[in-house]
Amino acid sequence: MNVIGPALGAASALAGAGVAAGMLVPAWGRSAAVGACTAGTGGAGLVAGVAALGGARWSIGLPGLLPLAGVRLAVDPLSGLFMAVAGAVAAAVAVYGIGYTGRGAHGASSRGAQAVLPLFALTLVLVPAAASVSTFLVLWEVMALASLLLVLSEHRERAEVRRAGLWYAVMTHLGLVLLLAGLALFAARAGGQSFAALRAGAAGMSAWIRAVVFVTVAAGFASKAGGVPLHAWLPRAHPEAPSHVSALMSAAMVNLGIYGIVRVGFDLLGGGPMWWWLGLIAVGAVSAVYGILQAAMASDLKRLLAYSTSENMGLVLVGVGAAGLFAASGNGPLAALALVAALLHMINHAAFKALLFCAAGSVLRATGLRDLDRLGGLRQRMPVTAGLFALGALGAVALPPGNGFISEWLLLQSLIHGLVVPGVATAIVLPLAVAVIALSAGLAAAVFVKALGVGFSARPRSKQAERAAESPPAMLAGMGLLAACCAGLALVPGVLGSGLDRAASAAGLTGAKALSGGGLQVRLQQVPASLAPLWVVIALTAALAVAAGLPRLIGRRRRRRKNARLWDCGGGAPTPRMAYTATSFAEPLQRVFDDVLAPEQDVNVTPVRESAYLVERVRYQRRVPDRIEHRLYEPMLAALARLGGAARRLAGGSVHLYLGYGFFGLVALLLVLAVGW
Amino acid sequence: MSGTGLTAVAAQIVVVISGAPLLAGWMRQVRARMEGRAGAGVLQPWRDTRKLLRKEPITPIGTGPAFRTAPALLVATTAVVAALVPLLSTTTPVSAHADLILVVALLALGTVALALAGLDSGTAFGGMGASREMTVAALVEPTILVAVFAFSIPAGSTNLAAIVAGAVREPSRLASPAGLLATAALAVAVLAETGRIPVDNPATHLELTMVHEAMVLEYSGPDLALVELGAQMRLTVLLGLLASLFAPWGIATDASWPALAVALAAFVVKVAVLGAVLAAAEVFWAKVRLFRVPELLAGSFLLALLAVTSSYFLSGE
Amino acid sequence: MRPMSTGTYTQLLDLACGAFLLAAVVVLWRRELVAIVRTFALQGIALAAIPLLIGLHEQRWGLIAVATGIGALRAGLLPYLMRRALAALTPSGGEEHHYEEDVSEARETQPLVNVAASLLTAAALTLLAYAVARPLVALNPGPAARALPVGLAVVLIGLFVLATRRRALAQVVGFLLLDNGITATAFLAASGVPLIVELGVSFDVLLAVLVLQILTTRMRTAFGTTDIDDLRELHD
Repeated sequence: MNVIGPALGAASALAGAGVAAGMLVPAWGRSAAVGACTAGTGGAGLVAGVAALGGARWSIGLPGLLPLAGVRLAVDPLSGLFMAVAGAVAAAVAVYGIGYTGRGAHGASSRGAQAVLPLFALTLVLVPAAASVSTFLVLWEVMALASLLLVLSEHRERAEVRRAGLWYAVMTHLGLVLLLAGLALFAARAGGQSFAALRAGAAGMSAWIRAVVFVTVAAGFASKAGGVPLHAWLPRAHPEAPSHVSALMSAAMVNLGIYGIVRVGFDLLGGGPMWWWLGLIAVGAVSAVYGILQAAMASDLKRLLAYSTSENMGLVLVGVGAAGLFAASGNGPLAALALVAALLHMINHAAFKALLFCAAGSVLRATGLRDLDRLGGLRQRMPVTAGLFALGALGAVALPPGNGFISEWLLLQSLIHGLVVPGVATAIVLPLAVAVIALSAGLAAAVFVKALGVGFSARPRSKQAERAAESPPAMLAGMGLLAACCAGLALVPGVLGSGLDRAASAAGLTGAKALSGGGLQVRLQQVPASLAPLWVVIALTAALAVAAGLPRLIGRRRRRRKNARLWDCGGGAPTPRMAYTATSFAEPLQRVFDDVLAPEQDVNVTPVRESAYLVERVRYQRRVPDRIEHRLYEPMLAALARLGGAARRLAGGSVHLYLGYGFFGLVALLLVLAVGW
Repeated sequence: MSGTGLTAVAAQIVVVISGAPLLAGWMRQVRARMEGRAGAGVLQPWRDTRKLLRKEPITPIGTGPAFRTAPALLVATTAVVAALVPLLSTTTPVSAHADLILVVALLALGTVALALAGLDSGTAFGGMGASREMTVAALVEPTILVAVFAFSIPAGSTNLAAIVAGAVREPSRLASPAGLLATAALAVAVLAETGRIPVDNPATHLELTMVHEAMVLEYSGPDLALVELGAQMRLTVLLGLLASLFAPWGIATDASWPALAVALAAFVVKVAVLGAVLAAAEVFWAKVRLFRVPELLAGSFLLALLAVTSSYFLSGE
Repeated sequence: MRPMSTGTYTQLLDLACGAFLLAAVVVLWRRELVAIVRTFALQGIALAAIPLLIGLHEQRWGLIAVATGIGALRAGLLPYLMRRALAALTPSGGEEHHYEEDVSEARETQPLVNVAASLLTAAALTLLAYAVARPLVALNPGPAARALPVGLAVVLIGLFVLATRRRALAQVVGFLLLDNGITATAFLAASGVPLIVELGVSFDVLLAVLVLQILTTRMRTAFGTTDIDDLRELHD
């Protein structure tokens, strides 16, 4: 029996119940009721997705649900993969959200915010199931609006939220316009708007139209995935949203940008010429390096995580681009391997980034701070959160035994063995792509050492950090679920092998078994390489035990550890103010990448009034602005503002003028029609 | 799974652990003689380790689990790497999983653990060392992986055993421009990873120049012994890796006892020679400024990239 | 004399080309003008090795003679002239003034593009050379032609050095790198140009270096520095 239909039905029903609960249940039980319904929605989505990954397919047409076009849903393994990820993240984050929103009545726990949350979770699960252009766009827009409302839920408390919301609203709708234009053109040329019709009609389209469709649609989706230079909304909206919403957005919503590119590029258009994919690799590479560099400069914990999302999505885009490149040159199995690597990285990213955002939310809830420079010492005050953050960070730095390592390893393998594909483009692009992945991995290590070491280690640098206390059990439970996902993905990634293969073949890349090995190890079929994550962990643990135990045996006298003061250079005990902050930690990197980051600094020296040589006060200020925002968006916004200012003159305030506009417009239209007829 | 294979793995670990302090002593001795000093003898690092292990363990106030586990983790990652890398034999039970990328990542894990420990101590020195170490580590990464790429092209795999066995079979691979460039790039990367001159000076305790030493300033007693041992093991393993990749002669490619014995002798000689060369070079070089290090690494990255392109374009398919 | 086996010939030719390219990169890397000149001399040897190997392989004695000439000029005479110019620029003071000596003339202190970025640019230029040389290589795929991008890459790097280095002597080296690259390209693509053309080019190069040397010394006496940015003053 096919469980996908009933599971999606249950998800919709639970989401409906959640919306109702958010509206009706009083404040004391609201978050629990909404959280349970949302978790149910996510769980049902997970079940549907896993069933689809297992090979089940399902489709339905509901002509009456949407006027004119009707709703058409279809689930194949590719949609199943994204559904399962979104469902799992939504379920765990909903549990976390129960504790995070608590019993308040404002902000994230207000009636509106709580009612929208289940709807958002439902759309995250349903978007990959859409099987026609109209259904897809409607679900996409509902998802965008729901997330916008959630981002804005703390708008009363903080003014920055409103600004971030504005950026997000504008950027997401620009993305929607691109998607609408691209998909409408596609549907018009293909002669039908269902995905089946698009698939059938794509082959007959001219190369020009295909290219226009791909570029517009890919730009729209890349902006959702945080690809540079369309990433500007991401580092604003993610930090300002309530943390469980940030987690949902960063771990589930951005993935749908990848889904769109894979669905349209591979499945519907059936692949394309090399330059599409080279462009995608370039966007991915720039996003990866730029994102992680900005993360390295950030001292706001959530902003850092948001930029890291941009980086990881960049890596996924590199993988997708490489898959397209290999497919375009006819090497199917290698293309499938690259796509599987990209999808696995996306899954891993979803797991660790959701965990990291939740942990950052716990810190925010306990201290009210996101600024790493003022945190510190949290490992004593919030030991469980600190441990969970460390686990997530291990995944994010792409080092063994973290889960991120496995997918980056796969990605590197597919790129390194890609040289068998002839052509000068591959020979130049692949080494550079490898270098980009390596640089971003190296910088990611610095970023998360900074986040973990400065934020959680050492001693607290502020009163708020000193008074922090551990989070309530619901939050810890939600994070525990995500941590279990991370650990599972790190230890037995092979269980995903067949599901990922099915997803890749649903995208049209039938490269028999890109990844197999039955759970315990990753062994590639096409290229001679293998990895045994579980054995690495066992060996590391054993070696660690021996290394920690031997010195005690060798040292003749067993002694208890004695406490001693830190080395203070003879100048009195070091204060927390002397410890390295996030800003000082990032300073060498900032100097190395001076030309890329273009920091602004400002030194103000105030001399004593009597003498020009005695200094009363020195004020030093440094800021590392987002350079792309600075150079690209600000001039554009200024130009738009000028245009708007000029247009204001048209509206002089006279009613006659306004009526005259209408009159002249009508006459002009009639004239054009008369002449043009 | 043969007896010789297991023995080879065990021998690699034992040789690296017991030989690492000797290598450090040997290098110091070479250096001392070249500078006209008598030197403390090759065994001095072992004596230091023994002395430190007998001292009482001390925990600086305010440090946490990251600080306490980092030394053991450093030694553990390096020991696992020592087991994986084909230093003595290419046919071991673990050689199927001896992936070059995994080796690089495990070494980076040790670096990250120490950097976290440096930040955990909450002193300015610890943070300074951690920040500098991570900067250098981040910039080294592209060089290493692109060099790995270059090494893997002729072998068709990133598996270390396959690369080394292939080089033993066809020595002409080593003398090709790709092989030479990749080795040169990797050599610079090894200098940076092990914190030797010109990137870092392991003998300095001056605030302005310390990198590694600043990070581990708070360690004492048995913990310090482990940190020192870990650093020495890293040097040994990386020099051994370089020797295996560039001069693989003598490494056992079949499972026989005499071959293993020859491999052991060859390994000791190769690493001793490399160590002596490095020590001699350190006498003549100066440490470069921290902000000149990126130039060095950009140069080595360029070499690695040229290795990949030249091996592709000159390979003559 | 027997011709070399093709395998050895390919290997040695690749090595020579590798060394040739590497020397160009090292010129970008180093700051001391002395070291730059020395590297240039080494590059001359690598350059001379290319026609020598081709000559030995194809048993063309004329090429071997050309190789000897190139070696003498590029690895001997030109570096000698530059070293003399350099010695004239940095008068070595007495032992007691050792630390007060102005060393800025002997170093490329502040290139317009910093060293790390120069090296990355060189990487990009090499990739570009490989990309544009593809059709040329496809015309006549032999070991020599396959190494053709190396010559082009050195031409591009030479131009880059010319464009971004401040010291007049570094500029001369850039110009000579350019010329070395052109010569190498000629040998690799067409096994060399006629002897008479080669001779003419060599004399031109020699003349150019002599003129530049005199110019450098004049500049030094006129401005007190060889930073060619100061030539802007001549504009007004």
